[in-house]
Amino acid sequence: MDYARFIRLRRPLWDAFDGELAAARGMRNVGYDGLEEMALRYRQVLHDHALAAARFPGTAAARRLQALALAGTRRLTGEGRRRTGAVAFFLRTFPAAFQRQRDLILIALALFLLGALWGLAMAVLRPELGLLFLGPDAVRGLEEGRLWTESLVTTVPPSVSSSGIATNNITVALTSWGGGVLAGLVPLYIVLFNGLLLGAVVGVTLHYSMAGELLRFIAAHGILELTLILICSAAGLGIGRALVAAGDVPRPLALRAATRDALAVLLGCLPWFLVLALVEVFVSPSPEIPAGAKLVLGLALEGAFLALALRPVSLEPTDD
Amino acid sequence: MSEIRRESILGLDNIRLDLPIAGIGSRSLAAFLDYLVVMALAFLWVFLVGLLMARLTPAWAPALVIVGWFLLEWGYFAGMEVATGGRTLGKMAVKLRVVTAEGGTPGPGALLARNLVRSLDLIFGVLLMVLDPLSRRLGDRLGGTVVVHDRPPEAAPVLGRVPPGWGPRELALVEAFLARAGGMDDMAATWEMADRILDRLRRDAPELLEGLDTRNDPIGSIRRALQAEG
Repeated sequence: MDYARFIRLRRPLWDAFDGELAAARGMRNVGYDGLEEMALRYRQVLHDHALAAARFPGTAAARRLQALALAGTRRLTGEGRRRTGAVAFFLRTFPAAFQRQRDLILIALALFLLGALWGLAMAVLRPELGLLFLGPDAVRGLEEGRLWTESLVTTVPPSVSSSGIATNNITVALTSWGGGVLAGLVPLYIVLFNGLLLGAVVGVTLHYSMAGELLRFIAAHGILELTLILICSAAGLGIGRALVAAGDVPRPLALRAATRDALAVLLGCLPWFLVLALVEVFVSPSPEIPAGAKLVLGLALEGAFLALALRPVSLEPTDD
Repeated sequence: MSEIRRESILGLDNIRLDLPIAGIGSRSLAAFLDYLVVMALAFLWVFLVGLLMARLTPAWAPALVIVGWFLLEWGYFAGMEVATGGRTLGKMAVKLRVVTAEGGTPGPGALLARNLVRSLDLIFGVLLMVLDPLSRRLGDRLGGTVVVHDRPPEAAPVLGRVPPGWGPRELALVEAFLARAGGMDDMAATWEMADRILDRLRRDAPELLEGLDTRNDPIGSIRRALQAEG
């Protein structure tokens, strides 16, 4: 077919497809019939593009067809927008992803406990090393019988400290999660270091006979907070594992699959950080609330989270 | 557009599609513009909170600033890309777009994932983009996305009549010439090129030039002889 004839015959089709693409901006106003027609035209445009690219490369028609084929591909293929409601996400997608990552979470927990034991041993056997973790101000406070956590609420209004705490914790979780892409090194570091830090801090406060105070302070928010950080880190480890040991599938595919689960886990954890920030500011430092009540609250929060995460759901990876 | 690096993918019916991959230059420019926008928004936010301060209790203003900055830092890129199907203001300005590795529209999950590792990519991204033929940074690998040039289909003149013996090279050249003839500064050079095209036409298909005023209006003559449209 010669160039002029090709254009004469096919151009109305291209113009129509171009117009359809422009009209169907968000694809929301396209009905079933319209979509079917569009898909048919897309296919014809794609074939014309193949012909033009082979027979008339570089011509205006070939360039236009290439642009049309790309625009049509972008519009008609791809992941689109799946509308998973928030409720369905928290009740099904999140628990399934969480449970698929159970082994990773256990690994993260083991590493964390290892770090904590190490830090505790260090702080008990060599208190001067443990002091390095806290800094001089906190140590001076301990010597005077005060926890550094008191300044958290006495110096700034609660709205400020709670938003600061929430954003800070979320940032740690996001960094640990995203850092998984560096072969899992960042979540590994965050898990081990946080374990070490907690162990060392408990050890130092033991040294000053303040450990009870500290545990009373963290009872309400600490359990779930550590759980969430560990879970987000475990998701990051999952990304790292897909990168290092992809298994039977090509690495890009393994990475994408791991990312999907990891993202669901992360998104499921984020709202809890907000709850925890409020608890950490209003409940944890309050001397009126008895330690037992704080512990009950902490365990209740943890229980609520785990009950949601461990809900019996189908673990088969679905499209949503 | 031949200067743009293209990466072939197989589309529907195994038809080859060439994705116009955006290189490090245009992407850096888009990112720079986006960070300018983020900075401007952050200042604007602080300014707004400052204005509202009079009506708020002093405790809430810093909290609002902290939360706003956090949302901007982590949410601007992902939010914009999810809302527009893969474009931020910077990408719109440089005419770029995020697509899946298959050339489709990425879903919210992929767009979120590619933007959650942005802080790491500020360190490693440039090096990775230089090394990768698809110019992917860490986030692109996580989300399975690539960034491509996004130019609307151009309305260029198309020849309606083809002289015998002309192949795609001649056609492309004459079409490109007609598309740009009006915008060229050097009239003498334009007319010289038109003359050379007319010479070819006289040799290959003199009947097409019959009745046309090739001396005074060479460009118009070419246009009419080849029935160029658009």
